[in-house]
Amino acid sequence: MNITRVFGIFAAVFAIAYTAAFEFHWELFSYHPKLGTFGWGRQPSINGPVMHWYGSMGTGLVVAFAASAIALPFVQKKPLPHWIGWAVPLVCILAWIWFLRGFFTR
Amino acid sequence: MFTAVTVLLILHGLCAVALMGVLSHQAFAVLFPAKSTGGFVTAYRAVSAARFTNASIVLYVVTFVLGSVIYPAYRVSARIWIETARLWPISGLFEMKEQALAIGLGMLPFYWLIWRDAKDPDTRTARIWTTSILCVVVWYSFLAGHIVNNVRGLLGQ
Repeated sequence: MNITRVFGIFAAVFAIAYTAAFEFHWELFSYHPKLGTFGWGRQPSINGPVMHWYGSMGTGLVVAFAASAIALPFVQKKPLPHWIGWAVPLVCILAWIWFLRGFFTR
Repeated sequence: MFTAVTVLLILHGLCAVALMGVLSHQAFAVLFPAKSTGGFVTAYRAVSAARFTNASIVLYVVTFVLGSVIYPAYRVSARIWIETARLWPISGLFEMKEQALAIGLGMLPFYWLIWRDAKDPDTRTARIWTTSILCVVVWYSFLAGHIVNNVRGLLGQ
């Protein structure tokens, strides 16, 4: 099997899953930088700030690897169009500009 | 005098500068291809763009990892200061940077794939868009990081 055929799907699904994890609080884990400890899922702050960024990337990676593995046999005969690999991440970046507009308008 | 975070931050910045240079070269070469090497601008575009791909990926990953390592130091000190000073647009600049860079990281395998055969006409549009997106993300992130890093000096606070 040619695994490179799912790289476009990986880029698209990672962008969507990462964005969804942040927006809907589906982080795989949280990090407490002052304590130097990790905890599963989304955790509240304990004695200082809590970081969800690493956990959102973790969710994005797990979902993107799973989706790529599932798609792998289906794309061998009929490859997906290349625009999936750049247009979906671009839309997610534009969505982030919209989500974060509050920082620039308050 | 210098903490480990300071040294890593400087390394992070140096890698980002190199990454900007590599991606800008490649983006210009794919967007405005030139065959001759006449003047400076033409020579800048008349490079073999595919040769920059692996360097871009390595530099992106190294810069990203360095940034991830020093991110907690920003979160527990600099960001708290920025929020206390109510500099919300500055905080927003950094938020946008972390999101765009993470999405860019996920695009790297696809970026490698479409540059593997730089003469394939089927992937030309994907090469133009992907390289341009990564170039803009890296330029934005460098400028945002520079502003956040120097916020006290730049804004006189």
